Amino acid sequence: MEISKLPQEQQDLLKSLKKAIVAIDEDTAKKVAQDIVGNDIDPKIAIKYAIAGGAIAVGDKFDTGEYFLPHLVMAGDLMDEVGKILEKNIPAGQLEKKRLVVIGAVQGDMHSVGKNLVSTMLRSGGFEVHDMGVDVSSMAFIDRAKELNADMIALSSLLTTTMPYLKEVVEDLKAMGIRENFKIMIGGGPVTRDYAEEIGADGYGKDAIEAVDEAKKIFS
Amino acid sequence: MITLFEIAERTQAGEKVEEKKWDMEFFKTITALIEKYEIKIPETHCFINRDNDLVERAFEAGVEFLERMGIYCITTRRRIKLTREEIITAIKEAPTEILMGEGRDQRVWRQRKIEEKEKLNVCPGHHSPFTEDLAGLVVSNFAQIPRTDFIEGFNFSKVDGREIMGPPMEVYASRRQVAWMREGVRKAGRPGLAIVYYPINTRAEDLIGVMDPDHGLRRTDGILLSLLPDLKMEQDMLSAAIVYDEYGSFKISGSFAIAGGFCGGLDGAIIEGIAKPIAAMIAYRDYINYTGVEHVHMLNARQILLPWVNWARSVVNQALNRFTHTICMRWVIPTSGPGTALNLLESAMQAIEAPINGMNLYAPRQCRTTTNHGQTPLEAEWMIEVSDAIIEQGFNRQGADDLLSKIAKRLENEKPAEGYDINACYDLIHHRPLPDYQKAYLSVKKELAGMGLAIDI
Repeated sequence: MEISKLPQEQQDLLKSLKKAIVAIDEDTAKKVAQDIVGNDIDPKIAIKYAIAGGAIAVGDKFDTGEYFLPHLVMAGDLMDEVGKILEKNIPAGQLEKKRLVVIGAVQGDMHSVGKNLVSTMLRSGGFEVHDMGVDVSSMAFIDRAKELNADMIALSSLLTTTMPYLKEVVEDLKAMGIRENFKIMIGGGPVTRDYAEEIGADGYGKDAIEAVDEAKKIFS
Repeated sequence: MITLFEIAERTQAGEKVEEKKWDMEFFKTITALIEKYEIKIPETHCFINRDNDLVERAFEAGVEFLERMGIYCITTRRRIKLTREEIITAIKEAPTEILMGEGRDQRVWRQRKIEEKEKLNVCPGHHSPFTEDLAGLVVSNFAQIPRTDFIEGFNFSKVDGREIMGPPMEVYASRRQVAWMREGVRKAGRPGLAIVYYPINTRAEDLIGVMDPDHGLRRTDGILLSLLPDLKMEQDMLSAAIVYDEYGSFKISGSFAIAGGFCGGLDGAIIEGIAKPIAAMIAYRDYINYTGVEHVHMLNARQILLPWVNWARSVVNQALNRFTHTICMRWVIPTSGPGTALNLLESAMQAIEAPINGMNLYAPRQCRTTTNHGQTPLEAEWMIEVSDAIIEQGFNRQGADDLLSKIAKRLENEKPAEGYDINACYDLIHHRPLPDYQKAYLSVKKELAGMGLAIDI
């Protein structure tokens, strides 16, 4: 996001906000966000530069081992709060809708670590994420995705015996005639890209970092 | 030790806590304890810790962490609070030896001490998915490794040619797994060898359904009942722990910490890595644990080595061996796949660490294993060969550190290798690697010999 054509004062504020988000400095980030609103800076530019740009920087810090999962959670919470401050000045109907992802570990699977990482990284990556936890049935995923008008259902399975539940979600959506309403992305220890293709999923993430790239690619 | 029934009651009566609140409290508490106990990464890089004072502080931090956090029951979303006295009593009362198997195949699996000179206990394989056509053959291949003390089951997606889905099919498949294991050890001429059921799912019916002295899991066998990361437990596993405790089977747990997760970095992972096996012992009576520290990027095979991970792992295992009765195992999980020289080099590093830090050897497999693509018997035999050489040569912590540095240097510009399916690199009929893998094996042996390991070439 290029901001060099903005007045220097506005550039400084946007840079400060991004810096505060990346540093997970809650007080500074909220104060600067208020200043941005007070200075009539286009909130869409602020969201793209400071929040979306900050999210990428936070993800990079996780990738290099400087940040850990709790930092991603905190950064995600902060981005939500800052987003709400900035969005106040966007007229209704002009708000750019975030892609909404319903995520969880499939029925019978209690493993949450990988799913938590993907969930948090997606959120930091600019997606709105509804995490349904572990051991989630196919119909629970579908009902929630319908209820929230989600764009994507992201499914995790760590056990070979829970992998069939990945397929069940795809099959249930087909049977209900709403397969095309949602993108499906899958992942987890024994899951492979070949398996994703075999069951007709739209995407596969080998790990959390790849999952975010994949989700962005799906909607590009 | 606090009874499992008492734990069960606390899963129903403990403080209600939302999971996200637990996760963030986990991080904040660990962060405070890192500072309080001065858990610091040394300035000079090393693979094996030699700071005994740090080990003592890390142990105290681990105990205080468990006391402050308790254990989280994900089934009821409640905190199982533990007092310091309950934790210390459990540590003192846990056994340091486990008798397993029967007849002439009976073995004693025991806790080791730092730099101890006795040979390690060995679980050579599985904990990796295989297809049912290979099941019996694979088991008998691992069981015929003479040093095998117990052998663990494996996961699979189809049984009798049909995809496993839902509790009844899972129970059926669970029983088939154990039947294949029993058949495999018989074929290897070791019918009394202990087997460990690898849960193909964690529902209570799957865990308990394999109990069967005649055709299934015997009292002298074991079961994997792992505590989840971030000190989380589930009621179905506890139900199984209660049943198997009365039945007599031993229990093991995956009790390592994952740096990069809610414990934070390696300093936090050290604290979780010490608290977790103690919690597993209290919650499920897991006395044998694969312990230490892994890094999320290594588990995902993004990088072969990350600085300080081996060191952090050594701090955890040294603390557990000095101050608790935890029987530690090194789960050898290279980022590279079987059939490659890189796999053998990575496995060698972990097999060198094991005797030095006081760990037995457990189920080597590629960290991101997929069906039929995780392990062969060669990696198991190789890790035994390397650890034996380390012991026979009398390596201490400093010497092992020097050797590990040389192997790490050899690996520093490498990327994890994909590797091969078991049938593409190993001859299961004749129990030997295929020519290309044999060549890689001999080449790696020469490399290590050149680095100073006294190994037959």
